[in-house]
Amino acid sequence: MLKVLSALRLSYLNSLKLTARRSNFSTECLYDESITKFISENTEIVVDHNLTPEIKLRLFTPNCRFWFERPEFWPFEDPYWAIYWPGGQALSRYLLDNPGVSLGKSVLDLGCGCGASAIAAKLCGANRVVANDIDSVATLATCMNFKLNGLESPVCVTDDMIGSDPGNFDLILLGDMFYDEALSYNLHTWLEDCIKTHKSQVLIGDPGRAQFEELAFQSRLKKLAQFELPKPVREENYGLNCSSVWAALCKPRHLSGHESF
Amino acid sequence: MSGRVLVGVKRVIDYAVKIRVKPDKSGVVTDGVKHSMNPFCEIAVEEAVKLKEKKLIKEVVAVSCGPQQAQETIRTALAMGADRGIHVEVSGKDYDNLGPLHVSKIMAALAKKEEAQLVILGKQAIDDDCNQTGQMTAALLDWPQGTFASEVTLEGGKVKVVREIDGGLETVKINMPAVVTADLRLNTPRYATLPNIMKAKKKKIANVKPSELGVDLTSRLEVLRVDEPPQRQAGIKVETVDDLVGKLRETGSI
Repeated sequence: MLKVLSALRLSYLNSLKLTARRSNFSTECLYDESITKFISENTEIVVDHNLTPEIKLRLFTPNCRFWFERPEFWPFEDPYWAIYWPGGQALSRYLLDNPGVSLGKSVLDLGCGCGASAIAAKLCGANRVVANDIDSVATLATCMNFKLNGLESPVCVTDDMIGSDPGNFDLILLGDMFYDEALSYNLHTWLEDCIKTHKSQVLIGDPGRAQFEELAFQSRLKKLAQFELPKPVREENYGLNCSSVWAALCKPRHLSGHESF
Repeated sequence: MSGRVLVGVKRVIDYAVKIRVKPDKSGVVTDGVKHSMNPFCEIAVEEAVKLKEKKLIKEVVAVSCGPQQAQETIRTALAMGADRGIHVEVSGKDYDNLGPLHVSKIMAALAKKEEAQLVILGKQAIDDDCNQTGQMTAALLDWPQGTFASEVTLEGGKVKVVREIDGGLETVKINMPAVVTADLRLNTPRYATLPNIMKAKKKKIANVKPSELGVDLTSRLEVLRVDEPPQRQAGIKVETVDDLVGKLRETGSI
């Protein structure tokens, strides 16, 4: 039974990848009715118990099948998008509290997951929002979440944008992306490049993950805000009490006389 | 008390795999073979997580000694509810020779470093069946031990352990800090659910070298040979009782 499911899952994933590859840099979200239906059936619309009750999101809750179900039955990639990570929460909260940061800007939400930060930017009047996630189911979930909040779908990109030309975005958002050693290293290198060549403003939301604290990049970061996590989030993410937002500076902190933006 | 529990988790060949001995008889084939967490270690993790859910302890730290792949075993423990992991890097020849005495020294050093209140281990591993690590760890730390636990209760700064012994069950009460080893009937381990598997990917696993813990990995044991169990011989069929008696006399059994 499991072998059949794995085979089905693989063929489904492959067909998704084919669909994703057909999308180029600036296409609308590819709408797939069956996956959308699957997402609807296996998530619940959540409006509270996180830092941004203003944003509606489709997430895993104890009322959902896959809160308890055997993970082998999940037919897609690991659904990072079905969880509202503390790093992303802080970033979205900061954007909503400081609408001037997003207003009129072109924004890239890298590793958008559920799309909360992209939504926050759009709600504050961002001119152009691109939601990027290598998991095409995540971009689909992001589109659904945009619609849930009364917004038009953003531009979605499923290519791995780390290492590529970021194409002149004013603002690059990274919500809870520094949890893996290899990923952190790649991001670090790419971000330095983005700042130097494009003068993009980079905002990072992180709850104090080990990989983030150990970044050599740390001297280039300025803490903008810190939020205490609500009790349900603390319970779901043991060991994390608060989550902060950081801005990346063009020059190391000890050398820069003033902020870069 | 720190409220911290250390749990050892060992990566072993999966229990369902048919074991094959290497042609040179130096060991068993492990390359390309499915590995998973030792079943008794799963029970140990489950017990630790249960204690945390009952709010009797605060933090569960999963420890594994081995090469890079040991991190997968730690991730499984994290997905079951452990809070963070420690990967003690041991690879190559050192890993081939790694035995209970080395692991006990490592666990003892970590228990002191982390100020653990409790160390929970599986009673034995299904690959070597040594059943030594828990006992040795307790001895090195000079801590009391409750081994072959089928029930563990924390009562007023002490641990009550119901032990499975040959004659039945024995109940002991030991002071904390202590070492407990898990037996089969202690609990039924939960399987990791999707949200927890993903959260586990973002939890911290620290890397430590045995030398940093002051542990010497030289082995005092040398494996001379590994053989398969003897093949079962075919039986002989006889027609009558007289034939049976005759055969038994022939083979010198009577």
